[in-house]
Amino acid sequence: MAVSALAQERLCALRHEIARIEGVLPERLAAPSGAPSGKEQEATANGILMRRSGRGLPDGDVLPSHVEPLDELLGGGLPLGALTEIHAPTARAAGAAAAFVLALGSRLLQREPEKHLPLLWLGTTEAFSEGGLPYAAGIRETFGIAPQRLLFAEAPRLGDTLWIGEEAARLPDLAGVILELRGNPRMLDLTATRRLHRRAQAAGRPVFLLRQSAEQTPTAAPVRLLVAPAPAAPRQTLDGPLQGSLGPPGLLLTVAKSRTARPGTFTLEWNPHERRLQLRTTNQTSAQAQPAVPGALVSASVYRPHLAQAAGQVVGFAPEQRRAAAGG
Amino acid sequence: MVSRRQDNAQRIAALDTKAEALKLRIGQGIAEARAMHPDLDIVEEDVEGDRRLLDALADWCDRYTPLVAMDWPDGLYLDITGCAHLFGGEVALMEDARRRLREQGFDVRGGLAATPGTAYALARFDSGAIIEQGDEAQALAPFPLSALRIAPDTRHGLESVGLRVVGAVMAAPRAPLAKRFGKELLLRIDQAVGRVEESITPRRPVPDLSVERRFFEPIGTIEDIEQLVLTLSTTLQPALAQRGEGATALELALFRVDGTVFRLRVRTARPLRDPKLIRILFREKLSATSESLDPGYGFDLLRLSVLTAQPFAEVQSDLMKEGDEEVQTIALLADRVEARLGRQVVVHPVEIASHIPERAIAYAPGAATPVDEEDDVQPASTFTRPLRLLRQPEPVDVTAEVPEGPPAHFRWRRMHHRIVRAEGPERMIPEWWHDEKGETRDYFRVEDGEGHRYWLFRQGLYEGEPRLAPLMKEKMEEEERRRTGKSIKAEDPNPAKDEDDDSLPAAPPPMPRWYMHGIFA
Repeated sequence: MAVSALAQERLCALRHEIARIEGVLPERLAAPSGAPSGKEQEATANGILMRRSGRGLPDGDVLPSHVEPLDELLGGGLPLGALTEIHAPTARAAGAAAAFVLALGSRLLQREPEKHLPLLWLGTTEAFSEGGLPYAAGIRETFGIAPQRLLFAEAPRLGDTLWIGEEAARLPDLAGVILELRGNPRMLDLTATRRLHRRAQAAGRPVFLLRQSAEQTPTAAPVRLLVAPAPAAPRQTLDGPLQGSLGPPGLLLTVAKSRTARPGTFTLEWNPHERRLQLRTTNQTSAQAQPAVPGALVSASVYRPHLAQAAGQVVGFAPEQRRAAAGG
Repeated sequence: MVSRRQDNAQRIAALDTKAEALKLRIGQGIAEARAMHPDLDIVEEDVEGDRRLLDALADWCDRYTPLVAMDWPDGLYLDITGCAHLFGGEVALMEDARRRLREQGFDVRGGLAATPGTAYALARFDSGAIIEQGDEAQALAPFPLSALRIAPDTRHGLESVGLRVVGAVMAAPRAPLAKRFGKELLLRIDQAVGRVEESITPRRPVPDLSVERRFFEPIGTIEDIEQLVLTLSTTLQPALAQRGEGATALELALFRVDGTVFRLRVRTARPLRDPKLIRILFREKLSATSESLDPGYGFDLLRLSVLTAQPFAEVQSDLMKEGDEEVQTIALLADRVEARLGRQVVVHPVEIASHIPERAIAYAPGAATPVDEEDDVQPASTFTRPLRLLRQPEPVDVTAEVPEGPPAHFRWRRMHHRIVRAEGPERMIPEWWHDEKGETRDYFRVEDGEGHRYWLFRQGLYEGEPRLAPLMKEKMEEEERRRTGKSIKAEDPNPAKDEDDDSLPAAPPPMPRWYMHGIFA
């Protein structure tokens, strides 16, 4: 397979040209870490690999998680107008999966703050009974999402739940839809997920398919992530980490399916001060390099509309007078 | 022949014409009747079934007037004031009703008069008659006393003094009648002739507005019904606009040819008058109820009624801002979901001032109205509340230090979990102003080896709950003893017995139990 470098370059340029005319950007892929051979090796030499039928994701339409290695792997972030599958291996892990979705949800809610769009969390009665109902007080405390910005819906039957999900997915005045299901129902096949995906694409808002204890079966979602809990970091105090305490929650995130990314695993942590996900730093040296309390050195003051007035009056003296007053 | 248990004996409750010809009468004992005619066919009375049948008939009669009242056990009142012209006059209306009911297999009698009392008498003793206002006394005169709706005892009393027809009672002096038979008799007479106003009690509230359409050719398909809902609601729109209102509850009544009536109701979160939106709501309702809605031979009358209406805020549409429209679409989704599932499922959480976790969040239907300060939430830091709360705290088997140590391991949903780290307890005292018998809870945040974080609590204390009421009682008893202490000592020669009473073991406090209540991030 001896294709000259010149021909390769021209081919690449032509593909760029076609992509420009079609109004889409070519997909970007990092070079595979293995040792590819032949044509692949040459193609990945310049760091760009193009798929013939692949439709690239425009740069603006991603939802960055602000975890750099993860975003890099996913090509900028999760697709915004798309169905994204997030799996919790067990009902017990539904808390961790919910935390990841809410971390993304808090990003979504910040996108257009002036519109006050709510986030709809929809689930079957079965899923909510097994994994627990979303608890607005805890969501507010951990993710700073006001209860007014949340909408919940619960339907006993899967058909009704999917119907509400589809109707909600095309509603432009929701910041996003979280659809929570349990297991592998037959009704949730390629067709059903494609309908959700297309509607999310049309509305330009994500639909997160939160699944508890489900097998990985083919769906139309371009990205599938597995979220399991990881041990929490100890609480940070002025004396350093407090042993035996439960601090910022940890998540073990695995990219199981993505059209652009290779599989990868990350240990993430929710930083409640900056309200963002961050990569957990394991080695002690980097932990010490960081300030004891993550976030700003002095936390921003909480709602204080009426600050105390300064006591007394400020009287200005001329320099000579000041010296005289000081007895000099 | 229908029998009924009355005065401790099976008696005849109703007869058909053949049985009447055998000279049987209502109220006769069954044993006696059997002795006369051994081959009688006797059926036990079915009160519930009769009531259902009369209810269904009353539903059917809604096609003539919204004011239909029950006259249990064998009659219906229809107030046709202002309705007769729609059917070509009073005579035509009565004929139509009687003919249609006869076609359904009922032996029907009807009377039409200006007062319910006279109509009652006519229906029973002169079927098909129509009496003009003012002629009531004359028309009633030849009827027997049972035409007057009076108690049987009164009737027997009147008959025993020789007053056997209504005319005789009306001609008798009033004062002695009232003295002997009570006020009811005179009231009934006055009501029948129209001297006292009497109103019937309709079964259903009269809708604010309603539109209907009748068909010569019955319709049956869902598409036709949907299209007709659109037509009907288009007819309804100007009336609503004139009143400055929008509908918040609508009812679609479908009258099937054989007399069955289906009623579909939808409620809306906001006042509504757009025909297209009304149609969308009914489409969801129709698709949800399509199994139970059997068109059979088709529907020959459709009626759309506005059950409740609210002032409709006329908003001047703004070219620049489209804020209000957004809430409308979420509200519409909520309404559609409600129309389909039959209850409100789209809710938003509302914070309640309570420290009990399950009480701290309540749910209100629909979307919250956007508030500007809502993003001003306190910075998160403590992680003391879980992200997910179980519907009901689930009992778990826990091994923990007694009395107040953190749990070491627990069994939940048939799985064993070993706890690596625990934080707590966070003690929650029950809200005595709601729940006097509540128990103290100690909440622990725990983490197992895999990193799952749970919210466990122990309900109850090993030493028992500190209660206000027993403490008060104890104190009062002590006080009482101090006041009367001497006299007790003097009177009671055997203090040992008293001690015995005191040393009876008090009921031990219930063992604390452990529950799983939530899952953390």
